[in-house]
Amino acid sequence: MLKLIQNEWIKIIKRPGTIVMVAIIILLVGAMGSFVKYNEHKKEQNADKNWKQTLQVQAAEDKKQLKGLSDKNDPERKYLERTIAINEYRIDHNISPNEKTNVWTFMDVSSSLIILVGLFTIIVSANIVASEFNWGTIKLLLIRPFSRKKIIMSKYLTSILFGFAMLFILFVVSNLLGLALFGTGSGNTSYLAYVDGHVEEQSRLIYSAKLYVMSFIETFMLATMAFMVSTVFRNNTIAIGISILLLTVGNTVTVILAGFFDWTKFILFANTNLMQYVNGTPPVHGMTMTFSVIMLLVYFVIFLGLSLVVFSKRDVTA
Amino acid sequence: MKKAIVQIKNLSKEIKGKKIVSDLSFDIFEGEVFGFLGPNGAGKTTTIRMMVGLMNISEGDVVINGHSIKSNFEEAIKNVGAIVENPELYKFLSGYDNLLQYARMDKNVTKEKIDEVVELVGLTGAIRQKVKTYSLGMRQRLGLAQCLLHDPKVLILDEPTNGLDPAGIREMRDHLQLLTKKKGMAIIVSSHLLAEMEMMCDRIGIIQQGKLVDVQTVTELTTEDVQTYSIEVNNNETALKVLSKHNAQLVDDEIHIELTREDVPNVIELLVENRIRVYGFKANAKTLEDRFLEITNV
Repeated sequence: MLKLIQNEWIKIIKRPGTIVMVAIIILLVGAMGSFVKYNEHKKEQNADKNWKQTLQVQAAEDKKQLKGLSDKNDPERKYLERTIAINEYRIDHNISPNEKTNVWTFMDVSSSLIILVGLFTIIVSANIVASEFNWGTIKLLLIRPFSRKKIIMSKYLTSILFGFAMLFILFVVSNLLGLALFGTGSGNTSYLAYVDGHVEEQSRLIYSAKLYVMSFIETFMLATMAFMVSTVFRNNTIAIGISILLLTVGNTVTVILAGFFDWTKFILFANTNLMQYVNGTPPVHGMTMTFSVIMLLVYFVIFLGLSLVVFSKRDVTA
Repeated sequence: MKKAIVQIKNLSKEIKGKKIVSDLSFDIFEGEVFGFLGPNGAGKTTTIRMMVGLMNISEGDVVINGHSIKSNFEEAIKNVGAIVENPELYKFLSGYDNLLQYARMDKNVTKEKIDEVVELVGLTGAIRQKVKTYSLGMRQRLGLAQCLLHDPKVLILDEPTNGLDPAGIREMRDHLQLLTKKKGMAIIVSSHLLAEMEMMCDRIGIIQQGKLVDVQTVTELTTEDVQTYSIEVNNNETALKVLSKHNAQLVDDEIHIELTREDVPNVIELLVENRIRVYGFKANAKTLEDRFLEITNV
């Protein structure tokens, strides 16, 4: 099985397209770095010197709003409590919200490139089975002493591995570039987390890593779906098309639907963003982290199960 | 009696209610080249795809070296090296990297073995180049190398000479002879080209509309007692008279005559004695083709 994954990996990295993908990621991080660096002094000029007062006013307003909420389970409630607590913590411990640009703020910015990692992972996972059919090489691959299940699993694992590798490249490149351009920042750069009713200072590195990995869940699920579609329909164009469409508009549509229907919570995209339980509110009232994780698992099993069954039974006529 | 290495037992394939292959049964023995002959669409490729597990078997079974391809795929396929239709390889990899892909999928393949196989198919000079630069002949040879890596007991080649030039076909033939005679492999080739099959195979199975029509050994097919010869002479009329007792006929300005091999020198002598100038005297090696058409055009 490891040998199969090694084979698949070689087939991916020896293709010119892969090098282009890595180059695009590095270039875009570079571009983003220069842009942020160029605008750095502007941001400092605009920085609010009296941030303590501003925060106090805001906290007071939030408190008023919190009192006005009649429903005890209103999702807004949790959000307000969290904002108030963090703002007060900032005032008490003299941690300005107008953080000077540093490696960590830069990494928050460059995490927007994760969508690109998602795009590339979808392309690779949609192609990994379909192109073997297009090239005709599937025939030579399937007449080896390995069951079809092992072949397809090795392909699936390799495409996910590819996604993680790209994510890792993005993480490391933006970390190094952030360090080089902006340094580690002055003062307290801890991440302020709101845990069980009180504020905790957490390591920013761990927060960034968490942010990257959590943001990757959506990519991971879409890549699994693209893999399934391309295996079932043997058509990488359909697979890439559907997946990219969902990657770009899936979230928006879900949010709109959530305003009207409760069943929206069963849609994949309502559950892919696990960060919403860490620092936001879920689209449908009453959703929990456990619910989302279970939903994700259900989708995952359906996607992968379909790929396995269809691929194992198929007559190969390529 | 030689050992049957591949047994095809009542093999059938049905797609959407249509029988593509029906109730095919035959054995292939060690050390022989078995030709699988039939017109296009007769079910050759479907049969081969079922033999290597690319297609599901509707009914019956294929047993390779004692293992069923249906129930024990991994053990059965270990004994098989195959090219199904064109040898499609990874064009963006070098020839050597392609072979490495397949070598990794079998524990017993060493680096030395790869070099040996590359040498055998005569690709040593080009093996580090990318496959997209290869000619069709070179790809065919790389395809052959790929199926020889794990020393299989059975080679299955679907249309192995498709698109090859005459030199390439001859080379392929020599390779196959070497492999059967020296290594005792069994080779199954499919083709719709008669002349080629005749030169390559020990036995030929003729398939038509998914059914096995006939299995014959090649010698049986070609050295029959009486064969048709065509003779080209300067004076047809005199020649016909001279050869009247041999039942000679004039066809397209050539004399056609049915003779045993023993009679050939006698006839030439007779013609020369009668001062007839002989420009050509050749055996019409069309018996297999005639047989084939006879059998398949029922």
